[in-house]
Amino acid sequence: MSAHQKHRYENDCKPDENRNKGASRWSHCRKRGADGSLRKSHEVEEPGKCSQSSRRPESFTTPESEGPVSRVKNWGDEVEAEEMRSNVRRDMHRYRRRILEADFPQRDRKISSGSSDSRDSRDSKESPAKGDIETDETTLVRRQKQINYGKNTLAYDRYIKEVPKHMREPGVHPKTPNKFKKYSRRSWDQQIKLWRVKLHAWDPPAEEGSNLQQIEEIDLGEIMDFELDVECSADTESQCPASSGASLSLAEDTFTGTPKKMMKIEDTEMS
Amino acid sequence: METSSKEEYKIQSFDLETQKLLKTALKDPGSVDLEKVSNIIVDQSLKDQIFSREAGRICYTIVQAEAKQTNGNVFRRNLLNRLQQEFKAREETRQRSTEEWVCLVSFICNIFDYLKVNNMPMVALVHPVYDCLFRLAQSDALKNEEEVDCLVLQLHRIGDQLEKMNLQLMDKLFNLLRDGFLLQEDLSSMGRLLLLEILEFRAGGWTLSETAQKYYYSEVTD
Repeated sequence: MSAHQKHRYENDCKPDENRNKGASRWSHCRKRGADGSLRKSHEVEEPGKCSQSSRRPESFTTPESEGPVSRVKNWGDEVEAEEMRSNVRRDMHRYRRRILEADFPQRDRKISSGSSDSRDSRDSKESPAKGDIETDETTLVRRQKQINYGKNTLAYDRYIKEVPKHMREPGVHPKTPNKFKKYSRRSWDQQIKLWRVKLHAWDPPAEEGSNLQQIEEIDLGEIMDFELDVECSADTESQCPASSGASLSLAEDTFTGTPKKMMKIEDTEMS
Repeated sequence: METSSKEEYKIQSFDLETQKLLKTALKDPGSVDLEKVSNIIVDQSLKDQIFSREAGRICYTIVQAEAKQTNGNVFRRNLLNRLQQEFKAREETRQRSTEEWVCLVSFICNIFDYLKVNNMPMVALVHPVYDCLFRLAQSDALKNEEEVDCLVLQLHRIGDQLEKMNLQLMDKLFNLLRDGFLLQEDLSSMGRLLLLEILEFRAGGWTLSETAQKYYYSEVTD
C-alpha cells in the first residue's frame, strides 16, 4: 500500500499548535514527518488527535500553517467541484453542437439565422467554434459560479416565470451572459454586474422601496460607486432560502485564494 | 406501495418513525432535516449488513429529489463528509469490529456505485475505495472469510468501474490477490475458492465464462 497513499483528501485534522511535531493537516499525505523520519503507511492515530485539537474553522490560515484550505478539501466540496467541472464540460459540448448546427444551414441554404451565435462562426469554414469559444475550464467554472449566484435569487425565479424566453426583448429583458464567448475578464465581470442589476427589477416587493432607490443610484452609471452600493443591497438576495446554502458554499470554494475579507465584498457584489 | 418502497430501499430494519422520516425525505426533501437524515442512514449502514449493501439507492433518490426541489445538495454534502470521517477512522473500526468494518466498506462501495455525478462515478471516492480494498487484500484480512467475502462482493459489483477509473491500482490489487491465493497458508478453503473465482472473473473481463459459472455456482450433484 504505497503508491496511492497520497491522500490529498484526508484533511480533516484541524491545525495543531505544535506544527513540527505530531499530526498536522498534511501529516498523512507526507512520506516524512517534519522532523525527517519516515512515516509508516498506516498511521491512524490522527482521528483521536484531531478531535482534541482546536476548533478553528477550516479556512483559518496562518503563515505557519500548511496553506489555504482551498487546496485541501473534504469529499463534499470535492464532489461539488467535480460536478461543476463536468457540468461545464457538458455545456461546452452542447454549445459546440449548437454552433455547428447554426453554421450548416447558413452555408447550405444561405438563410441568415437571427441568432447572434452564428455571427461568431461565419468567417471560418471548418469548426469555427474551436477558435472562437472560451474553452479554459477554470475560466468557465468561474463564470458559471458567477452565473449561479445570479440564478439562485428570488428575482431570477420571478423573472423567468414572468417572462418566457420567446417574449424576451433584447435590451429590455436581462439576458444571461454567454460564458462561452471570448471576453476579457473586465468585460465579463462588467456584463455580470449589469445583468445582476437588471435582474433587481424583479425583486420581491417586500422591500420597502429601498430597492428602487438603489437601482436609481446605480443607473447613474457610476460603476465604482456601484461596487460600494451593492454591499447594502446584498441583503435582499441573501434572504432566498435556495441561495444561502449554495452561494455560501460557492463563495468559500473560490479557487482564487482571495483572502476572507475581500471574499466577503466579492460575495456581496455577486449576491 | 408501503411494502414496495420498503422493499426497494431495504428500510425494513428502521423503526416506523424513522421509516416515515425517510419516506418524507424521498418525496419532500425540503421539509426535513437532511443532515439528520444522512446521519441516520450512515449510522444504520454501519450496523446493518443488508442495508449497507443497498443504501446507495435511497441516497441517490434523495440527492436527486433535493436537487430537483430546492436545487441544493445539503444531503449529499453531509453524507459524503460523514462518510469521509468514518473512512478516516476505518482502521480503528476494523480493530473494534470486523462486522462494522465490512459494513463500512460495503457502504462506501455502494455509494460509489449509485451516487454518480453527471453519470460518471465520483472521482473523489476512487482512491478511498481502493484503499479499502487494498486493506482487505492484506494477509491479516485475507485469513478472515468475512473480509474476503466482502472484498469479492465489491469487486463483483464495481470492479469494472473501478478499473476504468484507475487501471494501475486494479492491477496492483490483483497482484496482491494472486500472491495471497498462492502463498498464504492460513487461508480457509472458502477463502481460496472466493479468490480463485474473482481472479477468473476479472480475467474474463468482469464476467464469468459459462463453464466457470457452472463450476462455482451450480448445485453439486453426486
